[in-house]
Amino acid sequence: MGGLEQRFPVPFKNFSVQIKGNNTDLVICRYDDHFLVMATQIGTMGTILHARKEEGVAVEPTFNVSVIFGKRDEPMLLAITRQLIEHISSSGSSMPLVISLGLKDHSMETLKGIVSAVVENRLW
Amino acid sequence: MSSSCGKPSDIEAASKAAVASAGSGGVQVTNFTELVDEVTLHFQIIRLAKQIYVWIGSESAKLGNLYAAAPTRPNNTVSVTSILGGASDNTGSGIARRLVLKTGLNIIVACNIPKNNPMLEANAEKKLIEKLITLGYSRPKSQSPGPELSSSLLHSVSE
Repeated sequence: MGGLEQRFPVPFKNFSVQIKGNNTDLVICRYDDHFLVMATQIGTMGTILHARKEEGVAVEPTFNVSVIFGKRDEPMLLAITRQLIEHISSSGSSMPLVISLGLKDHSMETLKGIVSAVVENRLW
Repeated sequence: MSSSCGKPSDIEAASKAAVASAGSGGVQVTNFTELVDEVTLHFQIIRLAKQIYVWIGSESAKLGNLYAAAPTRPNNTVSVTSILGGASDNTGSGIARRLVLKTGLNIIVACNIPKNNPMLEANAEKKLIEKLITLGYSRPKSQSPGPELSSSLLHSVSE
């Protein structure tokens, strides 16, 4: 390739945190058109959700958050996703978010732990 | 808390075109780029304990179509479903299906390669399988499938 060093085009972060005693592995990737966040305590991706900002006429942006694979009866997963897409939007990016959550419990403490771990290590 | 960072400003870690692998507890991330049929293909493999996520990109680093595939009881067949994109164009669904067939793993594939190019798809799939075997995530074809085949998509969602 001569003198040209090619960088892998997808920036990513891979790290672990403890949330309520559960080891949580997180991966955050930035693609050209999406952010991908994976948070797992169970060894698999778990439920996958999608969130995007809607372009509308109102001054304040609105967001569409939905489960695209997995548990559809766990509102806490939607809440985490919504908090993150709002954070992405207020940081200036309009890119949608794909997030996978494989969690052992769905408590407020876990929600806060996940959101703060992701925000602290964000790629937006 | 251990971390490895891949931001654009972190030239050392992110600038290698060769295999770059970072591990943290149960998650191993492997990124590599290959020239296939004069097309540059990027591959990202994220290995979780019981599942593997794969991204294939070419030219751009868009996410592409997302598919979930897993071995399915009772006959060890494979189920594939499209979970994002892929409505009018199912480039990548074949890759997901055959990855599971050959490796017996529970797989999520994000595929962003040009459509209507079966040769490219086939070559991308080949590179991917070679790498999965090299990394030790799957068995070479010659051996028979193991107990992983009893896992299913449903099991991957809840604990």
